[in-house]
Amino acid sequence: MHVRNKLGIAALGLGLGLGSLATWQTAFAETPSPLPQHRVPKSSDGDVVVAMCDGETTLEVEGVKDPSTITRDKAQAISDELLLAWRKKNPDARWDAPPPKQQLVAQANPPQPPAPASAPVKKAGETASSGADEAARRASANIQAGHTYGAFSERDEAIWKESTEQAVREGHRVFHDAKAVGGTVAISCDMCHPDASNTHPETYPKYQVQLGRVALLRDMINWCIENPTRGKPLADDDPRMKAMEAYIYAQRKGVKLEYGKH
Amino acid sequence: MKAISFAGALTLASVAFAGDPTGTPPLPLGLSAKLYQLTVPKPPTPAEVALGDKLFNDKRLSVDDSVSCATCHDPAKAFADGKARAVGIKNQVGQRNSPTVLNALFQATQFWDGRAGTLEDQAKLPILNPIEMGMPSPEAVVTKVRGIPEYRDAFKKLNGREPTYDDIASAIAAFERTQLAGNARFDRFLTGESKALSAKEKNGWALFNGKARCNSCHAGNAVSPLFSDQKFHNIGIAAHKQDFVQLATEALRVVRAGDEEQNDRLALETKFSELGRFLVTRNENDIGGFKTPTLRNVGVTGPYMHDGSLATLWDVIDHYNKGGTDNPFLDGGMQRLGLTEPEIDDLVAFLFALTSEDFKALEKKELASQRAKKSNRPERDTAIALGKKGHMGDLAPNPDIKNPADLGLYGPVASPEK
Amino acid sequence: MRKGVKSIETKHYEERDSFFDGLRRLDRRAFMRIAGLSAGIAAARGLVTPQGFQLISVAEAATPSAKPKFSFAYISDSHLYKKELNDRFVRSLLKAVDDINRLDPQPDFVLYGGDLAQLGQKEELDLGKEILKGLKAPVKMMVGEHDWFLDMGEHWRGLFGEPQYSFDHKGVHFVTLMSVNEKDFWTERKMTPMERMQTVAGLDNGIQSRFEVGPAGREWLKRDLEKLNKNTPLVVFSHSPLYKYYKPWNFWTDDADEVQALLRPFKAVTVIHGHTHQVLSNQIGNIQFHGLLSTAWPWPYAPEGLPSLTVPMNRPDPFSNFDGCGDGRIDVLESGLVDKLYNLWDRNPVTVKSSYLATGGKQDRPPTAKLPPY
Repeated sequence: MHVRNKLGIAALGLGLGLGSLATWQTAFAETPSPLPQHRVPKSSDGDVVVAMCDGETTLEVEGVKDPSTITRDKAQAISDELLLAWRKKNPDARWDAPPPKQQLVAQANPPQPPAPASAPVKKAGETASSGADEAARRASANIQAGHTYGAFSERDEAIWKESTEQAVREGHRVFHDAKAVGGTVAISCDMCHPDASNTHPETYPKYQVQLGRVALLRDMINWCIENPTRGKPLADDDPRMKAMEAYIYAQRKGVKLEYGKH
Repeated sequence: MKAISFAGALTLASVAFAGDPTGTPPLPLGLSAKLYQLTVPKPPTPAEVALGDKLFNDKRLSVDDSVSCATCHDPAKAFADGKARAVGIKNQVGQRNSPTVLNALFQATQFWDGRAGTLEDQAKLPILNPIEMGMPSPEAVVTKVRGIPEYRDAFKKLNGREPTYDDIASAIAAFERTQLAGNARFDRFLTGESKALSAKEKNGWALFNGKARCNSCHAGNAVSPLFSDQKFHNIGIAAHKQDFVQLATEALRVVRAGDEEQNDRLALETKFSELGRFLVTRNENDIGGFKTPTLRNVGVTGPYMHDGSLATLWDVIDHYNKGGTDNPFLDGGMQRLGLTEPEIDDLVAFLFALTSEDFKALEKKELASQRAKKSNRPERDTAIALGKKGHMGDLAPNPDIKNPADLGLYGPVASPEK
Repeated sequence: MRKGVKSIETKHYEERDSFFDGLRRLDRRAFMRIAGLSAGIAAARGLVTPQGFQLISVAEAATPSAKPKFSFAYISDSHLYKKELNDRFVRSLLKAVDDINRLDPQPDFVLYGGDLAQLGQKEELDLGKEILKGLKAPVKMMVGEHDWFLDMGEHWRGLFGEPQYSFDHKGVHFVTLMSVNEKDFWTERKMTPMERMQTVAGLDNGIQSRFEVGPAGREWLKRDLEKLNKNTPLVVFSHSPLYKYYKPWNFWTDDADEVQALLRPFKAVTVIHGHTHQVLSNQIGNIQFHGLLSTAWPWPYAPEGLPSLTVPMNRPDPFSNFDGCGDGRIDVLESGLVDKLYNLWDRNPVTVKSSYLATGGKQDRPPTAKLPPY
């Protein structure tokens, strides 16, 4: 693959396995306005040519005929290459690199809507016939089998993980909504605890000064509902209480348990 | 004057369990062995206690032989004096209310502003204070005490030498360390006697931990049953009598760190006594702050607050109900409570239930006397309490509180702590 | 009493003893006279008590060279709702106004640090303006994101004028920036104005764009600073911090580097910013940064990115309506830099000096917190 900077006509929309062809002209046949046009050069070999959003840079993907399916990895490689070219052209541009992939404590399970993807489900083991393959494969592996605890599949784990995430998401919703938690002064939990910071659930049980006695996390949640947010405390088995606990614990994944710590 | 000696305490109070081998004496029901061990490393001997008892009740410790410790800390009046502010020699009136000696050993500091760290330090100061007992100097006290043969002999037998001022204070403190008070109706209720508290009192306990927000400073639990956090809070008492801001601003420019004696005089004599804990720490946020007192026997140790300005417990609740008196140094936890009249009655009923059984007669008398004053409520401001006037904060909706005792939140009272 | 040479401590105690002695015998007027003398004597001899508390009403002279040129006060981040819904925030703002009005001498002006309303609603902004009218000193307003994103600043401009402006005062050039612009995230999601406002109001809401001054704002700033002599002290008011502290909570200005580049040529530059609701201090190059306290509620410290020069404030107690909140005063020094006093309610005040920042934290370190942030 090499880059060509040339003005030309005809472009190919970058599609992941879509392979639909649309020329610049046909797409914009009805547009009368004199928009700046990116004139993409046509490949002499009939290869795919990808145009970049800066209006100038293009890249010809050699060996990949136009149209054809492009896998995700290949598409990522193409994008990287284009970006590299752009950055070479714009050395002064302030480009914030994506955040490093370290495990931020409060960000361990960022509860952003929409739902995080569940674990990839293996194709095998889904149908009745593949069950036999699966069973055969398991028989050969040297793991205790039968009705033993822990003999669950990846599918089970995926389902359970999604259920957990659902509870965490519900907790996120209640946590961020003053009315949902029962508050009467429009103060929601995230105002003092963005991303559930400063909730320190790993330090319970401990003597909670505000209550004058030893407390668990949900006692303190109820205290906060009563005092800063001025609501009615929730019953121990209230689903909102459970959801909020789920959310708070989820934000502190990986933090050492230290009950009694102040 | 009836002196409740250590032996006496054993017979009067109903003992829940025998003293353990480490030397902790049997404690009245409700008091925590753990707390005792934390505060009293070596329990006092009967000889010390007897000597201290004598000194405590001895008027000769004052300059004109008219005032003893027991004058303001009268055993018959639950070791308080029933007066708004203490009265010393020559009928001079001080600036502060006399706190009770009962359970004083468990306090982290002594005096309303915590200027004395131990009972010994506390005992030394009133004797030297010109308003209280008026002795001119520690040497004068020592000379006087040495001049009394029974004391000289007792001290010689105890310590093998002539008494010093420290010894005198030690003896008094030893006596005070036996003044324990527990065994209230509340304590019996916690150990399973469900009839010990009436329905109103139970509701009062629930309010105490809930709508009335009392337990945040007056925390009570099995390990620390004092009903006090031993911290210093400005709840607006100093502010309701005078231009407190003016006073505080002046003082901030002027007051320096004094030792205990200097602070003692300031605390009792001048108008700067209203600055409270600030005189001791010189921390700006301690201005007008006074120690959270214990609520055990609160019913019989009125009048209330550091200057005795609140006559009845109804007045006290009224004060809190409206969020105290707003002033720039008001503790951030103060806010209006929105309590209704029946709720206030229930709270007061609960507070009276914290009185030790020993003072049953006194409790009856006090309750009657306070009830009689109920029609006159100078502190009450319903408009502020309910939020119709002023900006004293917002309220939570009244929760359906289960009684905290039913939930076992206080902690075990009957079983000894390890 | 020791004989012979008396140490400083002894002299101090003697002076104090005689002072207290006199105290007992005086009536109030005489007391005040002696007190004034005494304080003056003590200050002159350098016998100011080591723990010289810095009360908001008295500018204690810690070191003679640090006597301020002038002072201004600040109130910030009140996040008002209408009174019937939430009385507590109103109560806090009134408390701040009382604090400032009680200052003696009065400050030259009062900076309002942004986020007057919580949801940018007309009644909230009007209520805020009413309350701030009670201030005796003149007020300089700054806009925050909570004031802006309901109606994109329409009501704010009507009440308080343009969000970006500059003025000169006693030889110092002040600039107020509009630094909470956000790139459009709401049109494609077809959000209503209230939805947009609610999104911006959520600190940990990742949908909103990061704050920026924006190209127009930067251009305005460039032109404003063009003719300014590089030796003129420069103080910049901004709601977002003008540096990059923690991106997920928008404790962040996207074009911070560009803005800092515009400020860097000046000899003495200080940025005073709101939004973070905590004690926050930083120095980047020659620019010093000070955060403002909120009157409504405190934020926790971010899990990462905290400037190393910040000495965190103690954890707030949720029982107190006011803990971790407050107002304060900024002393502009002869050097053109500032000392910042955090008047934390229900706590002792904390001062962060320019000398502390300038020496990289070696001098005049503010008191440490008792407990670390979680």
